[in-house]
Amino acid sequence: MIELLAPAGNLEMVAEAVGNGANAIYVGPRGWSRRRDAFEMDDAAVRDSIRIAHDGGAKLRVAFNTNMQSREIPDLLRRMETLVGYGADGAIMTDVGAIAVVHRHFPELTIHASIGANILNNADVAFYREIGVSQVVADTKLTLRELASRKEQLDVGIEILIHANYCYTYLGKCWMSPYHRLERTIDDGGKDLFKGSPNRGGLDYRVCLEDWQLYSGDTKWEDHVALKNDAFFLLDDVPHLIDLGVHCLKIQGREYAVSLVGAIVKFYRDLIDTYEAHPKGERFDLVPWKGRLAAIQPGRDAQRSRGTQALLAEGRIPVAAIRRH
Amino acid sequence: MTRSFELNTTISNLRDLKASDLSPYDAIYLGNITCRLYEANLLEHLDDLREAIAAVKVQGKRAYVTSYAAPRNDFLPKLRKALAVAVEAGADAVEVHNLGVLKIVHETHPGLPVHIGGLANVYTDAGAEVLKRFGAMRITPNYELSLEEIGQIQRQVGLPMELLVHGKMPLGISDHCFLLDYEEAWGVKCPDLCQQDLFLKQGDWAMKSIGKGVLSGRDVCMLEHLPQLVAEGRDCFRIEAVSESPAYRLEVGRVYREALKQAVAGMNGMEEGWWNTLRNHARVGLCNGFYFGGSGMEYLGARRWAEASGPGRPGTDLLQLSQVKGVIR
Repeated sequence: MIELLAPAGNLEMVAEAVGNGANAIYVGPRGWSRRRDAFEMDDAAVRDSIRIAHDGGAKLRVAFNTNMQSREIPDLLRRMETLVGYGADGAIMTDVGAIAVVHRHFPELTIHASIGANILNNADVAFYREIGVSQVVADTKLTLRELASRKEQLDVGIEILIHANYCYTYLGKCWMSPYHRLERTIDDGGKDLFKGSPNRGGLDYRVCLEDWQLYSGDTKWEDHVALKNDAFFLLDDVPHLIDLGVHCLKIQGREYAVSLVGAIVKFYRDLIDTYEAHPKGERFDLVPWKGRLAAIQPGRDAQRSRGTQALLAEGRIPVAAIRRH
Repeated sequence: MTRSFELNTTISNLRDLKASDLSPYDAIYLGNITCRLYEANLLEHLDDLREAIAAVKVQGKRAYVTSYAAPRNDFLPKLRKALAVAVEAGADAVEVHNLGVLKIVHETHPGLPVHIGGLANVYTDAGAEVLKRFGAMRITPNYELSLEEIGQIQRQVGLPMELLVHGKMPLGISDHCFLLDYEEAWGVKCPDLCQQDLFLKQGDWAMKSIGKGVLSGRDVCMLEHLPQLVAEGRDCFRIEAVSESPAYRLEVGRVYREALKQAVAGMNGMEEGWWNTLRNHARVGLCNGFYFGGSGMEYLGARRWAEASGPGRPGTDLLQLSQVKGVIR
């Protein structure tokens, strides 16, 4: 059965996602995942998340999907050892070196290559497979044909983002935010939070969403240029993905409200269950599902818009100096 | 004994290669990593690639063939052919930004030296160790790393670290060229669209657009820090001029060749003419990228950003290196 993977930025969200039918939850240990620290957890909260997930029959993955500093890898191993000891079922990772080191130390741990690894072709998948990855998140820009080829040719689990953002750039290949503002903040555990660098685990100021003017030399050619960035819900493709045999459908959004995440999880749980119970070969009517999704979308869009405006404003604040968290 | 160094740059097509005076450089990376439709991209025009490799080598320079930053499955057959041409024509190395391509090179051309490009996302010494096992012989760490982090990788892994010392650094790679939306309105067609010296601006924020990606608006400039880089053991330096004119490639290259000669000889001279040259070529100013641990668009050092950027352009406050040292842990 296909797995439904949901985000959790706090304990309440873990319970909400599990209660609405998620098969697995992912959380970010503070300082180590691709979100600002407000949506990450300390070790005690990760331990409680594991308990809630396991009590509800779900798995829990920890996202260590930053590109950390070399000197932070020993800290990563200590943190991983603690969380594996608590019962974490898998790790979501990006840095090839960290993946190789963690695989060496925890050979039984399932490692998922994060969206930030920007795995684009079958040779990429084979590379990550060779260093210890058993599941990969497909880039949002890949086509069903590319995914089908991957599924046929490679012994690897495929995760598909069904609620996420479709950015102008490839994820993991964007440095617009830290170019404009990078704040070095050290937390109590000594971890550099790299505020402004999503690749390194800090928040993303979403600089790309600025209202740009386009110049050729000194001449203005366009007054308003918007680089592509759409938050999407996958719907039409979900039946095809299930038929294709992908392993996991993943929802992004640790930063959203608990109730919204719960509603999204419930929607996809119902969709998956209904489709899987539907007689094979018969037409599956998606119209009612489009109606349900249309009721969820405005709330998501409003929350995202407020978040973007706040981040763009924060991105304009001068960096003063290093500070302790 | 005076140490040797390598100064290199990037050229996308045969036209640009023929128009460029390569005298300041020891090596040239050939090909455009962002777009298959870039005008006569050497990675797609393999007869041109063969001719380009020969043209570089006949001048006594090393010829490196680069490869795509974000190759999908349908890129790979042509890329395999380009790699074969690189081997046949005697290229001195290939540069890879994609780990799948690294695996392909390692399996199909095990003797071919591999340079890891800045978009392969080498952030850690452990990551560099993995890539070394796949045949990497030189690494450009991700542009987001500080000099301190780069030094640690070099010490642990023992491979040369290549640094972008001048030019526009990549800030994003895309599969979508938004410039195509404007073909009709501007009356400019692909592949000429991305050659229009385009900048996205908002307030004091600026990025150079190349259609399927963005580069830093400001030119990374490490001129006054070359003695430090040399002292730290760096000896491979890149002028990123892929989106620039032959004049930029020559004049900026000459400045760095002279400055590097002085730096490796233990001298620390800064000629005013060098700054004039860099100022004339930097449309929206200079920065240090991420080398000193701060935001990529900052300029840190003895030269004020405004001074380095020329009159009539907005300046920012000077941050002294002593302040920066407090930032890097």
